[in-house]
Amino acid sequence: MPQAPMPELTSSVKLKYVKLGYQYLVNHFLSFLLIPIMAIGAVELLRMGPEEILNVWNSLEFDLVQVLCTSFFVIFISTVYFMSKPRTIYLVDYSCYKPPVTCRVPFATFMEHSRLILKDKPKSVEFQMRILERSGLGEETSLPPAIHYIPPTPTMDAARSEAQLVIFTAMDDLFKKTGLKPKDVDILIVNCSLFSPTPSLSAMVINKYKLRSNIKSVNLSGMGCSAGLISVDLARDLLQVHPNSNAIIVSTEIITPNYYQGNERAMLLPNCLFRMGAAAILMSNRRSDRWRAKYKLSHLVRTHRGSDDKSFYCVYEQEDKEGHVGINLSKDLMAIAGEALKANITTIGPLVLPASEQLLFLLSLIGRKIFNPKLKPYIPDFKLAFEHFCIHAGGRAVIDELQKNLQLSGEHVEASRMTLHRFGNTSSSSLWYELSYIESKGRMRRGDRVWQIAFGSGFKCNSAVWKCNRTIKTPKDGPWSDCIDRYPVFIPEVVKL
Amino acid sequence: MGRSQEQGQGQGPIHSIRLSTVGAARPTETGTTHEPTGLDLAMKLHYLKAAYIYSPETARDLTVRHMKDSMFMLFDQIAWTTGRFSRRDSGRPYIKCNDSGTRFVEGQCNLTVEEWLSQPDRSVDEFLVYHQPIGPELAISPLIYVQLTRFKCGGLGLGLSWANIIGDSFSLFYAFNFWTKAITGETIHAPPPSRGDRRFQSPNPTVKDPVSVKQVDPVGDLWVTPNNKKMATYCFNLSVADQISPHFPVNGINSIPVFEIIAGIIWKCVAKVRAEPEPVTVTIIKKDPNDLKPNNAIRNSQVISSVQVDFPVAEATVEELVRSMGEAKDERFGIEEIGGSCDGNLDFVVYGAKLTFVDLSGEDLYEARVMGKSPDSVYCNVEGVGEEGLVVVYAAAKSEERGVTVTLPEGEMEMVKLEFKKCGLIAP
Repeated sequence: MPQAPMPELTSSVKLKYVKLGYQYLVNHFLSFLLIPIMAIGAVELLRMGPEEILNVWNSLEFDLVQVLCTSFFVIFISTVYFMSKPRTIYLVDYSCYKPPVTCRVPFATFMEHSRLILKDKPKSVEFQMRILERSGLGEETSLPPAIHYIPPTPTMDAARSEAQLVIFTAMDDLFKKTGLKPKDVDILIVNCSLFSPTPSLSAMVINKYKLRSNIKSVNLSGMGCSAGLISVDLARDLLQVHPNSNAIIVSTEIITPNYYQGNERAMLLPNCLFRMGAAAILMSNRRSDRWRAKYKLSHLVRTHRGSDDKSFYCVYEQEDKEGHVGINLSKDLMAIAGEALKANITTIGPLVLPASEQLLFLLSLIGRKIFNPKLKPYIPDFKLAFEHFCIHAGGRAVIDELQKNLQLSGEHVEASRMTLHRFGNTSSSSLWYELSYIESKGRMRRGDRVWQIAFGSGFKCNSAVWKCNRTIKTPKDGPWSDCIDRYPVFIPEVVKL
Repeated sequence: MGRSQEQGQGQGPIHSIRLSTVGAARPTETGTTHEPTGLDLAMKLHYLKAAYIYSPETARDLTVRHMKDSMFMLFDQIAWTTGRFSRRDSGRPYIKCNDSGTRFVEGQCNLTVEEWLSQPDRSVDEFLVYHQPIGPELAISPLIYVQLTRFKCGGLGLGLSWANIIGDSFSLFYAFNFWTKAITGETIHAPPPSRGDRRFQSPNPTVKDPVSVKQVDPVGDLWVTPNNKKMATYCFNLSVADQISPHFPVNGINSIPVFEIIAGIIWKCVAKVRAEPEPVTVTIIKKDPNDLKPNNAIRNSQVISSVQVDFPVAEATVEELVRSMGEAKDERFGIEEIGGSCDGNLDFVVYGAKLTFVDLSGEDLYEARVMGKSPDSVYCNVEGVGEEGLVVVYAAAKSEERGVTVTLPEGEMEMVKLEFKKCGLIAP
């Protein structure tokens, strides 16, 4: 009996070494080519001897004018190259909002409120309970004060209070951390999908912090959970155009006005998952921030599947039969997310994957197209391209699906799962809570690459790739500071309520 | 004017009621439970009520948010009281410590504190205490209700309705004082609640068949005292010097037992009204002098004792009655046994099984200072009283006065009040 597994073990170990060898060969191909050439050159030089070298040198008749022209030409080309290179965009620091414990909503409280509010619809209550049991959320997620009422009291005033609370707290923290003065903010981008008052939230921020009158401010609304990365993309583009500037991005979702008050099942789902949260991020293109910035933005790829009707309608805000407005999530959501991810990967793959993976992918593509269409498509190993993954904590299903598709280990998706457990689905800011988790665990080293993936209504899949600029010490404050020691926790498949 | 005890909300003069939930800040470990003792189970049909009124100068600047946030600090200490009842397979109730929370009720009143306090029958304070019984669905019934009433002048009424199964009146006052300290912003060093034995020290372990507890028809999951008669409440203030002392011969240096005298006088009045049969047995509930609070501060440790006399009460002197009360027998052990028997599936009534007198006068209720100021008025009562009736005696704003809340069947109330007038307890 012990003999049978042994050949398998040895063969898998052999395979591993073959794989490693192949990767080293292809990824460092140029170096492999260069070494023999340099060796031959060195041997030639040694063979020729000093006098012959001098003769060869003198035979090349160098003229002063020729030398000067050549050097000017070289300097000119290098100047053009450096001037046209896109500016490096740095992420100086960011700050995530930590809700007060008094906003905490344990499962039992949520279910009790649900039963009291929906007392005539036991099936809807049952549905919510089943969702909550399998949601992957923990007992410490938070809802804003207005939602703690039976029934909730979502007035505009309450929504503004929530916005002020989460945004101003996050921004105060960011200003303190970075030492930035409000007067020095050049660009402000606020994204909040479902709450868009007049004046806008960005105007609210400008009013509170007395920002400059020539600030470039943008308020993005309606763009779903992927709006955080859309804001980063916009900030990047603006920072390319404006030299020596910084940009503050505020990503949040205001829960108060969007709590669904009806009893249509597909629309009750967001109530169970969405929770209070916000993040404020400082980005900069200044060379002086090079030393203190945490990350450099390497790539940002946006994929929009809106041209496909099924994708467009899969997350749809509408009124139910009784006139209550809510967000209808279609049953095909996971499949559509998978397709959007594939489209995004097709674009980002060539930018980030090492040559070994790209070659394999190319070979498998050729094989499928020319030889055998039934060949399984090769899924590139993204673990070779990135050290850390931040998958939008949209729900347990999203994380499970992506873990399967990208063949990630439990540790890779740990940040996403734990963020979902501790904070719930905080929409566009969840990526920043996940990044904060990785930093709080002390896993972020200089040179590490992070892949942030966000999905949003439309249907969109946006990816950002960051490179860690300096090894980050475990932060003493931050949303995880008081509970990081308890994590990771084991999250059961179904929590018994 | 006696107010009928109704199951329900503080309505009437209170409007704009909003319900929300407050709880504990830290999550309780999954699977934690709290097992009630036999004595706890015997008290399960009763609910303790207290209403504190604070003047506008004290309370005007206190926001609802601040009050709620301070409640979280309180419930961090007693997180198990934010759980919900469930039954074991045997039917025995226990508390699932799932952090469900406490119901927080906000209301408005169109009267000023002065106008409110000018009403002679203080049982109007019942409107300041939101009450719902536990059940019919145990899993969604909070054990505690807190009502915050804002008066027109900015004053505040804080009402607490507390299921007696979690603790006695002294526990309620302890919790309330804790809350007022948190509101005031004092740093509180609460001892960690020990999960050790929550029983009381009983000097009388041999009493079986206690008379102070009565078994009632099964109530199932709706924990409401099944009474055939509708009960009414009347509340008034007494001055010790003017109304109590004349009934008792002064023994020189010894201070007079104020509670016993009040109880004796009222017992006589009720006996005169009831005539046949006279209440020859009464229940006295007092604080346990051997109690080891504040450790395990929230529990039922009150002394429940029974007094039996063999002479006609209506003709007896107050002195004789007071003397018999001195020979009261502590029945807690027996009640504990009975309450826990049959896995807590039997239902009992303690307050009102016999005419019951509760002595809360030792508690300084006016120590519940908010921002350094005592309340203007405090009201205490019990919900779910049996048909024999209840009298609660507690401290009033002035130290030489007492507050008395009487709960009796509606039919008897007017006649008893007449007797009170004859004795000089209330003004004619």
